[in-house]
Amino acid sequence: MTNADLISVSPSGLRPADEVMRLERLGSLHATRLSFVRSLVRQMARQRWQISRVRFDLDANGHGSAIYRLQTPHGRYHGVMFAQPLDDAKRSDRVIAEAWDVTFGLVEGDVDDSLLAQMAANVPLQEAGRQHPRVLVLSRANKSLRNFAHFVDALADGEQPDPAWLTRVGYLYRTTAVYGNGKFGLADFARLLDNPDFRRPFSAQMAGVYLLRHFSIEQVEHLAACRSPDTACPLAPELRRYLGIGNSTGLGMAPFLIHHPQLIAQWITQRETALALALRQVPTETDRLALIALTRRAMRHLDETVTEDAEQTERNAATVAALPDVLTWLASVPLEADIWQQLVEWSARTLPLEAQELINTLLIELYPDQVDALEDQMGVAENLDLEPDMPLMRFRQLVETHYEWALAHDYQSREGAYWFWYRSADKEEPRLGVRHAEPGAEKEMPIAIGPRVAHTHQAVCEFLVEQPRATVVDFLLEHPRHKEVVRRVQSLVKAPYGDIHTNLWHRDMKPMHLLRTKLSFFGASRFDPKSDRWVRITLFQGAPLVEELNAEPQDLAEFDDWSFPLEPHREGEARSLQARSRGVAG
Amino acid sequence: MKVSYNELQGLCRKAFSGVGFEEGDAADAADMVAWMQCHGLHGVEQLNRGLDYLLEESHEARPRVIYQDGDLAVLDGLGHSVLRSISLATELGFAKARARGLSVVKIRRCHNRQLIMGYLSRLAGRGMNITAFWRNAQVPLTEQVVGFRAGHTTPEVRVYSVRDVPEENEPNDGITLVMANHVELLPSLGADHDLDLLAHHPESELLACRQLALEEGIEVDDAIWARLKTLAHRILVESSEASRGGAGAGDNDND
Repeated sequence: MTNADLISVSPSGLRPADEVMRLERLGSLHATRLSFVRSLVRQMARQRWQISRVRFDLDANGHGSAIYRLQTPHGRYHGVMFAQPLDDAKRSDRVIAEAWDVTFGLVEGDVDDSLLAQMAANVPLQEAGRQHPRVLVLSRANKSLRNFAHFVDALADGEQPDPAWLTRVGYLYRTTAVYGNGKFGLADFARLLDNPDFRRPFSAQMAGVYLLRHFSIEQVEHLAACRSPDTACPLAPELRRYLGIGNSTGLGMAPFLIHHPQLIAQWITQRETALALALRQVPTETDRLALIALTRRAMRHLDETVTEDAEQTERNAATVAALPDVLTWLASVPLEADIWQQLVEWSARTLPLEAQELINTLLIELYPDQVDALEDQMGVAENLDLEPDMPLMRFRQLVETHYEWALAHDYQSREGAYWFWYRSADKEEPRLGVRHAEPGAEKEMPIAIGPRVAHTHQAVCEFLVEQPRATVVDFLLEHPRHKEVVRRVQSLVKAPYGDIHTNLWHRDMKPMHLLRTKLSFFGASRFDPKSDRWVRITLFQGAPLVEELNAEPQDLAEFDDWSFPLEPHREGEARSLQARSRGVAG
Repeated sequence: MKVSYNELQGLCRKAFSGVGFEEGDAADAADMVAWMQCHGLHGVEQLNRGLDYLLEESHEARPRVIYQDGDLAVLDGLGHSVLRSISLATELGFAKARARGLSVVKIRRCHNRQLIMGYLSRLAGRGMNITAFWRNAQVPLTEQVVGFRAGHTTPEVRVYSVRDVPEENEPNDGITLVMANHVELLPSLGADHDLDLLAHHPESELLACRQLALEEGIEVDDAIWARLKTLAHRILVESSEASRGGAGAGDNDND
């Protein structure tokens, strides 16, 4: 598809921002084929990236270092892993942790002894270290202790682990932060803008996580072999595939969403454009059958998904309960040219939000030829620039037209101003406090855009009474504190998916929705909230393996078809769907 | 120590917030310092030189318009750093040039003037031709002229001394900005004048500096970095047993 084609579908025909940017809907998004893990795997396969092990220096306890080489047509990179002993008392997924089971970095270019020594001294320290400017990504991960022990035990005995363990917790390691873009001395993202391998947002981070997945497989096999050299066996390919990497995430994602509105707008615009393109296609009977198959797979995936969180369990169940009706609808409705449009209209009337967004995800999945080019449009130059010569009256109209959601709240009420967001002196961890009960509100992070826009709107209205012909810069010279909001509004009326239409102060606001918004673009599955502001998810579960990538797959479409992974059957065992869905005891 | 561009920008933003800057001003000031530093123009040193003044300035400090008409504006910077709110004075020039084709803005009484280049870069990127002029010293009389071509975010900078000092040589701590919407204003030194070129930074040299900064990181003095960190700490809320629950997570994840 040409850029002209892409532009021709945007922005007309896209869903309105007031629908898409509602927090509850954003918190119902699923990963799509445009999510970053999917794009990366396609790119790796298409360009024949090769991954090889150049160092694997682990002791019998699995501690030591390993290096993996990533060779692309354009460059060479190395994933450098450090596995170390960790006292159980120190194993925490929070940013305030100071030690981890594994730390690693993704390096541009070669790793000589000097760089390896520098990394060995700094990567395990994470935030407390100083990282080399050729290190693109810095991350760390903690073990899922139960999975790890079960996998080592089973493989050492020459048996395969029970797949149900991976259905419940889909990984051996979960990352607790994946840093890029200059943090702690790392390479700036600006440096990657001319790099054909990693110029897409978060693609280097996802590549680092993919290498960790491979390391986790090799490490667990190494441990089993060390323990029982005579009986140990490797992990079966279908279980390797079913093994992803976890991620544990908290409130830190919220400031990112607010501080990068143009980037968020870009991501959501591509997703909405993909949906609009899919809805435009005239479906064939093959397309209909493909959608039915995808719906069945997604239904089973969600049915198998286990979480202790009551609300997410209910949401998953509601989606699973709704999908048989979708299948019936798909099987019974005549194959008319606008059947997909009919489907989304019907789903909007009858299905819960998560099910509606699942249908959208599946429709996008059907049309790789039409939508995949959008993955190259995920980046954007971020500049919230002022238009100083804009008549202030025009600015006021823009606020009243595009930020009605922000003006509609009561920010004076106790409920409407219940929360405040702040950074703690404890490693700058983002936290939520109750405004009238906890100290620190005077140091609030100003990420609640709604009250700020309402405040600016009020000041603008008062200024216009005296100076109705004023320009924006006239107003700001008198009231400079409104500069940031003014230029944000001026910029985002051109990128209307940039601001989330909610009051982030409100008592009923659910931070989990913010986390899921960003994680869905990463490609997260198995949403497993641990509280109202803390979630574990899985990346790359079901993704092709390093050995499959190295084999240079011929059928790229089949290679790419790994969304909504299902629990593999144990050899010689045919378990019922219902039994599988119960998973295993915690 | 070596730091990244994003790290420098991020720490400066937090430090300016810690000093009491409004969010937009903190972001602009941080951009100005980081832009200067990565172009080899010593932004951090400039900041360090003016930091004590910044800490003493009133939080309400902002430039005042003394005179303006359609093409021209004169503002009083009240002796404050250009880092605080001076961006709006440049935006006033931008607005006038957009309306009238060419504008002149004179900002009197301001310091840290070098840093204004970081914000002018943004205006140039938005399609404005800009020439900025100021005097760095009276004895010997040295002048600096900075020229941006519309659409180019990197300027050409010249610093020169004037041998033939005029009789009227009162201290001048102002900046003059000329902006043109459609016409290039790139300054060149006249051959007939009695000048000594002290420094010349063509666009290509500054771009090469930026490239190197992205590849190898940016060298920053440890002591200044520590000072910025101390200022940045002001925006953080002290942790308590109760606040540790505010992240919504447990402390141990042995599962």
